[in-house]
Amino acid sequence: MKKIRNEKVLLIGGRNKAKSLASSLLSQGYHVIAVNDSEEECMRLASIKGLNVYHGDGTKPYVLDEAGAAECQIAIALTNCDEDNLVACQICKQNFGVPKTVSLVSDPNKTKFFRQMGIDSVVCAISAVTNIIQQQAFVDDLVNIVPVGLGKVQIIEVHIPQDAPVSGKKLWEIDLPQEVVIGCILRNDSALIPRGDTRISADDTLVVIARSGQEEHTIQVLTGRA
Amino acid sequence: MKLFGNRKKEDYVIIIGCGRLGANLANTLSNNDGNVLIMDTNKSAFRRLDSNFGGLSVVGNGTDLEALKSAQIQKATSVIAVTNHDNTNIMIAQIARDLFHIDNVIARLYDPERESVYQAFGIKTICPAILSVKEVDKILENCGEKVHS
Repeated sequence: MKKIRNEKVLLIGGRNKAKSLASSLLSQGYHVIAVNDSEEECMRLASIKGLNVYHGDGTKPYVLDEAGAAECQIAIALTNCDEDNLVACQICKQNFGVPKTVSLVSDPNKTKFFRQMGIDSVVCAISAVTNIIQQQAFVDDLVNIVPVGLGKVQIIEVHIPQDAPVSGKKLWEIDLPQEVVIGCILRNDSALIPRGDTRISADDTLVVIARSGQEEHTIQVLTGRA
Repeated sequence: MKLFGNRKKEDYVIIIGCGRLGANLANTLSNNDGNVLIMDTNKSAFRRLDSNFGGLSVVGNGTDLEALKSAQIQKATSVIAVTNHDNTNIMIAQIARDLFHIDNVIARLYDPERESVYQAFGIKTICPAILSVKEVDKILENCGEKVHS
């Protein structure tokens, strides 16, 4: 049974991103409104059941007004043009009081600037993709790394091999770097939150939170591999 | 500071967008011995500059932080954003004001509705449509006076 939510989400611009995000949000029970300045794109979006579509430039106050920006709790700007995303989010916030604005940004150097300009959440597709590529290309298959907090912190998923030096040890016995915490142990489909005296066994998967720069050393300590 | 006359020697003006307005401003400043740099993404836009234009013309994107840094934006006393796109001008104005702390930042906005939003943000804007309305009003007022006198 689908959960019905009261939150309204406004999507501004974007081609395939808008389409897949709209479908995903609708399936989670959100009300979704899409604004797009291309008529062709609007027709494609209109084929999604339950999606409200408005044709117009989402950086113009009257278009956002007609689309009902004032009733939205979240506005997400997905155009290819950084300046359009900035202006769309700022007008949503300033004129229509949208509580949360999210903007896509293509220039990684502007992430901080966008936040400084009052955008609540800034997503840089290019840095996200390059991070994933680097991780896939250079890091062991046993390890999965997700950067959070603008890349200051890394969440690392590490699988403990049979021959790992830490297997059978208690957490406090492991010599981990200072700014690293083992947050969770995934063992046989169950998740346990460990304490200092929890014992690690082979085939466990550890979820580790580490300050950036510590991840390589951490992985080496846990798996015994460089 | 002003375009004509009383200007300090160390004033340095950056103009982004070499359209009719940008080129005119740049020519005027240059003719009055001003330090001026004009930037446009399109090299052929600089044909609008006078043949004796004495400032710098740089091909570059005014929303690119690196391009602005190499134009020495941190030394600028004024930045004027007059590209063809309102949103680009808005972003340049905010970059200049909030990242590089330039005191005099002006953005040209075609859309009067957007202008009112950004005036609320404290950005100095000029809107050709509104300026023209005022000018037309002034002319009509003068015509009226002549008829009645």
